[in-house]
Amino acid sequence: MKRHISLLSISILLLLALPLYAGAPLDAVQASVNKVLDVLRDPKLKAASAKELKKEKLMPIYERMFDDVELARRSLARHWNAMDAAQRQEFVLLFRQVLEKAYIDKIFAYSNEKVIFDREIMVSGNQAEVQTRIVTSSKEIPLYYRVILKGGDWKVYDVVVENVSLAHNYRTQFNDILAKNNIEYLLETLRKKVKGQ
Amino acid sequence: MKLYSIPLLLFVFLTLGCAHSAPLASSQAPPPEPLQPGLSAVSSKAEEALPKSPVISAESDGADTGSKITTDSDVNIDYVEEGAAKEKPGIADPLEPFNRAMYHFNDKLYFWVLKPVAQGYNKVVPETARVSVSNFFSNLAFPIRFVNCLLQANFRGAATESGRFLVNTIWGIGGLFDPASSMDIKLLKQDEDFGQTLGVYGLGQGFYINWPIFGPSSPRDTVGMFGDLFLHPFSYLAMGRGTTTGIRAYDKVNASSLSIGDYESLKEAAIDPYVAIRDAYVQYRMKKINAGRKGSIVK
Repeated sequence: MKRHISLLSISILLLLALPLYAGAPLDAVQASVNKVLDVLRDPKLKAASAKELKKEKLMPIYERMFDDVELARRSLARHWNAMDAAQRQEFVLLFRQVLEKAYIDKIFAYSNEKVIFDREIMVSGNQAEVQTRIVTSSKEIPLYYRVILKGGDWKVYDVVVENVSLAHNYRTQFNDILAKNNIEYLLETLRKKVKGQ
Repeated sequence: MKLYSIPLLLFVFLTLGCAHSAPLASSQAPPPEPLQPGLSAVSSKAEEALPKSPVISAESDGADTGSKITTDSDVNIDYVEEGAAKEKPGIADPLEPFNRAMYHFNDKLYFWVLKPVAQGYNKVVPETARVSVSNFFSNLAFPIRFVNCLLQANFRGAATESGRFLVNTIWGIGGLFDPASSMDIKLLKQDEDFGQTLGVYGLGQGFYINWPIFGPSSPRDTVGMFGDLFLHPFSYLAMGRGTTTGIRAYDKVNASSLSIGDYESLKEAAIDPYVAIRDAYVQYRMKKINAGRKGSIVK
């Protein structure tokens, strides 16, 4: 189980990518991932003091490649519909901060693991799954990106690490919380988590 | 061993009936109903609160989606359930209070015992050596994977495993290295176990059990774990129970030393780590079993 985490983190790392050109999903993801890896491999940014700079470089890439709103919507599923626009805005923001804080150090810990792009599977006209593998010194980790075509760009809305979908994992957690509590409670939980991290 | 397995089997077959969620069938059958009664109540409430026809607007939000964190137009789109075929794995959790207590126990076990030991071990033993140790233990467990491939009528998998065992035992110096996985040979590990075999034959997972030390499981996978013990060489070596336990503990420490930090970030990222781990376990097992069904020649 613990393995999944490094996968998750590496996956999020791979989500941080540069502007995509609208092409086949696999090409789009691959181009972005390579750009992220370029930033992480950059010897000028290797120093521990360059952390903030690296973060600054990765953030815009992440925003262009990753569809925060789609991930939030799919993680909340029906509960999303019960929220008003302001709650949704806040939720998306908080959720993103939780993910960023949890995974940023894992992403920076990248040490030249190889990323292999295997194939893309079209799920429908505007959705696809791009299947990749990460090769580390001791194992190979399957990592799939689920992407959706929006405004001419393929955007990642879910990451599946060793068969565990991030959106589904959060959906189970949010469902569990919202089965007993209201939406305000969930938002408050997230606010506290972001502050405490 | 028999002493343990009989009551266990009984326990499983008596309990499976009441909380059976048959995730296997999800590819053919309609998706399983929500597992927790509370859940369905909430979701139906949410549905009532909604306009009956959710807005399925063409998702053509302006080109500026990426430049701002959120765009109003996108946030305003409601969630629409996608095709019914989409699998929604879940698991019943009638033992939640016990399981949560065990989660806290295992959590403390990791942070207070396993992690410090693994960290100390990390400082003394270089990574290449630790990878070799892990390869060695994995090679030793070959009979489990081989027999379960056979039991699942996955002959290609069984052949792959035999090939791997030969190559890694001979050229990999008793399994210390894994040349079989290299690009040229490409015999990849078939990670099959008896829990999966039972799943491939249609036995449902039952409910969630979080064992102390062993972690996430279900009645099916618990039986699987005991079944696999019979296939592990340790069970047949003339060693005292203490020695076997010692070796297993070492295997565990070595494996942990290769993944320090993973559990920490999982916990950090989770809103409710207990639920996050439970869900990851269910998703992971389900996909493995589905893959096992594809590998089997008996459909």
